[in-house]
Amino acid sequence: MSTQNKTPSQTSKNNILAKLKEQVGGADYTKLSKEFAYQYPALSKAEQKKQFISLLEANHAEVIMLEPQEIPTMIRKVLTTRGITRLLGGKASPLENYLLELTNNNSAENTISIQYYDFNLSDPANKDRLFNESPVSITSAHSAIAATGTIVLWPTTEEPRSLSLVPPVHIVVVEEKTLYQDFDSLIKAQQWQNKMPTNIILASGPSKTADIQQTLAYGAHGPKELIVLLVP
Amino acid sequence: MTVQQHVPKQNSPKENKYDPNESKYAKSASEFRANVSRDLSNDELKSNFRGAMDYLMDKRKVALSNEDELETLREQCKLIKQRCLLKLPTLLEQLEQNLEANGIRVHWAETITQANEIITTLIQDKNGKTVVKGKSMVSEETSLNDYLEDRDIECLESDMGEYIVQLAHEHPSHIIMPAIHQNKKQVADLFADKIEGFKHTTDVDALIGEGRRVLREKFCHADVGITGVNFAVAETGTLCLVENEGNGRMCTTVPDLHIAITGIEKVVEFLDDVPPLLSLLTRSATGQIISTYFNMISSPRKNGEKDGPKEVHLVLLDNGRSQAFADEEMRQTLQCIRCGACMNHCPVYTRIGGHAYGTVYPGPIGKIVSPHMLGLEATNSLPTASSLCGACGEVCPVKIPIPKLLLRLRSESNKPANTDGHKQIMKGEGSGRKKVEASIWFVWQLMHKHAFIYNSSMWFATRLRKLMPAKIGVWTSVRSAPKLAPKTLHERVKAHQAQTKKQQS
Repeated sequence: MSTQNKTPSQTSKNNILAKLKEQVGGADYTKLSKEFAYQYPALSKAEQKKQFISLLEANHAEVIMLEPQEIPTMIRKVLTTRGITRLLGGKASPLENYLLELTNNNSAENTISIQYYDFNLSDPANKDRLFNESPVSITSAHSAIAATGTIVLWPTTEEPRSLSLVPPVHIVVVEEKTLYQDFDSLIKAQQWQNKMPTNIILASGPSKTADIQQTLAYGAHGPKELIVLLVP
Repeated sequence: MTVQQHVPKQNSPKENKYDPNESKYAKSASEFRANVSRDLSNDELKSNFRGAMDYLMDKRKVALSNEDELETLREQCKLIKQRCLLKLPTLLEQLEQNLEANGIRVHWAETITQANEIITTLIQDKNGKTVVKGKSMVSEETSLNDYLEDRDIECLESDMGEYIVQLAHEHPSHIIMPAIHQNKKQVADLFADKIEGFKHTTDVDALIGEGRRVLREKFCHADVGITGVNFAVAETGTLCLVENEGNGRMCTTVPDLHIAITGIEKVVEFLDDVPPLLSLLTRSATGQIISTYFNMISSPRKNGEKDGPKEVHLVLLDNGRSQAFADEEMRQTLQCIRCGACMNHCPVYTRIGGHAYGTVYPGPIGKIVSPHMLGLEATNSLPTASSLCGACGEVCPVKIPIPKLLLRLRSESNKPANTDGHKQIMKGEGSGRKKVEASIWFVWQLMHKHAFIYNSSMWFATRLRKLMPAKIGVWTSVRSAPKLAPKTLHERVKAHQAQTKKQQS
């Protein structure tokens, strides 16, 4: 067989696969042992909610329970207590109405300016803007997982991937009805294998590291603070 | 303020430095015994490892306190990995097909140099000059940083531990916590030495803050992000990354080009396979029920999306894995999900530390995987550095019988030269065989087969015991020489029996 017209990668591929197939080519898959999963006790919705909140808090996230109409006021409070006046959010995102309401209620001495992530990150000027001029961001959550205290982020054109990553404070709005008992049941219920988007992130707290002498430090590279607004 | 850059090393000729068949780790691994002596005499190092391993063992124990759950999960994860290995060639083809359909380009490399060449070409095609790298042990296998630096491409480690290790011109001493051999004072001294304007402090928040400041600047401007992969899902064409810091997300989101590199054994069949593996991985590794981030990448930036890399590439590396695969017993080595629990629980690793092994992967898993990557000739001391206490096998989340594989490697290393033309199982097999040792066993075998030889040699050994030398090589370097009894046990029993008989009659 000539390999003259092949790239080195193709030659490697053929060599590797040939070696592997020599061993297991034609293997009888029916002889594989049956795999059993551990059966976790089913939790009620209330128990799941309690578990979700306590695990997130144990991982240093702040969880605030509130009604949807309280969201603008709460955002204002979060920003004001941190001395921040600028918020980055998604244009035409599920949260846009709350953001508009927030700016409508601006007063002279308490002004919050909303920036929209409507720019292309490949432009260096936009990178500077995101890294250096965006102290807080807000995004919606796709769903949540009780067993691990996890928020599922499903970035979109309106709420891009870096919106929940680069700003030092990340506020995320989670709806209780999107809470699942565990990762496995979430994947199965929503049939993820048929519709994987560009990127999915499971986030279970603010960014952290224990790389120096096993001492936990928050805000390694991602957000230093994760603030979860949990609405019914 | 800038970070001091590494100066490319000029002392060795470039053409000799990257032998396609030899990693720089072959040399350091072959110096294992000398490395052990060096590190055993370092008390600070020993105390750093002791503290870290105790911490990690406690964390795991708490996170996996339900014995039923643990054993069910271990069995399930073992079977998942064994299924995926049995289907490996098919799954790799399926993975490639689905990734390519999603717009992610796939490249194959048999050797570390091939992998480095592929990555360099991808970077140079985009005129890339700066790379930020997420944690990737496979890129340590290929010594990618050295390779890129020699080609004037800056490659900066962005995991905090890896960043520290790179600043110190070292390599990771643990696969999960790379800088575990350093304490905070040593890190503070290092930062003061290498980072301009750093005000010396041992406050960990301040140290991490400094790393964050330096690295954010780099994330913002880097041309390329390079990462490893924890699971590659064949069914969906998805690359999964497990991390706590967010540097993996940075590397895979901000630069326009993302290159992932991984070993061919990381592929799993279904998306469904991921939750149990992830759950056991993080709990075995650091005792976390889940890592802060679990990043699932299935495509480069799509039309209309505002961020994310415009190109995503995956490099699949063999580097000796197909050799392990070819033997059904040693194939189990490839079940590994790189949690590091075996090293955390290893009495040898805890005492000698991660650098003494001289390999990319230290500890028990390193002892059974490195011989396939570097050949047995360079690594035949490693499988002997075990008391076979079994702790590594007991904690392994995918039930790799590590102690059994250590014995297997010892016998591969000691087997006689291949004179009957049988198929070679491992590169360097038989390289650990010593003539003296082999002849001692030959005599031992002879003695135990023939009663006459056994009895007479025992008689001579006991009668001539005074001739026993006080020094017997390595044996007496840490022990006193054995003292033989004046008579053999057989003789004494016989005498005793005769005595009793006499008394009875």
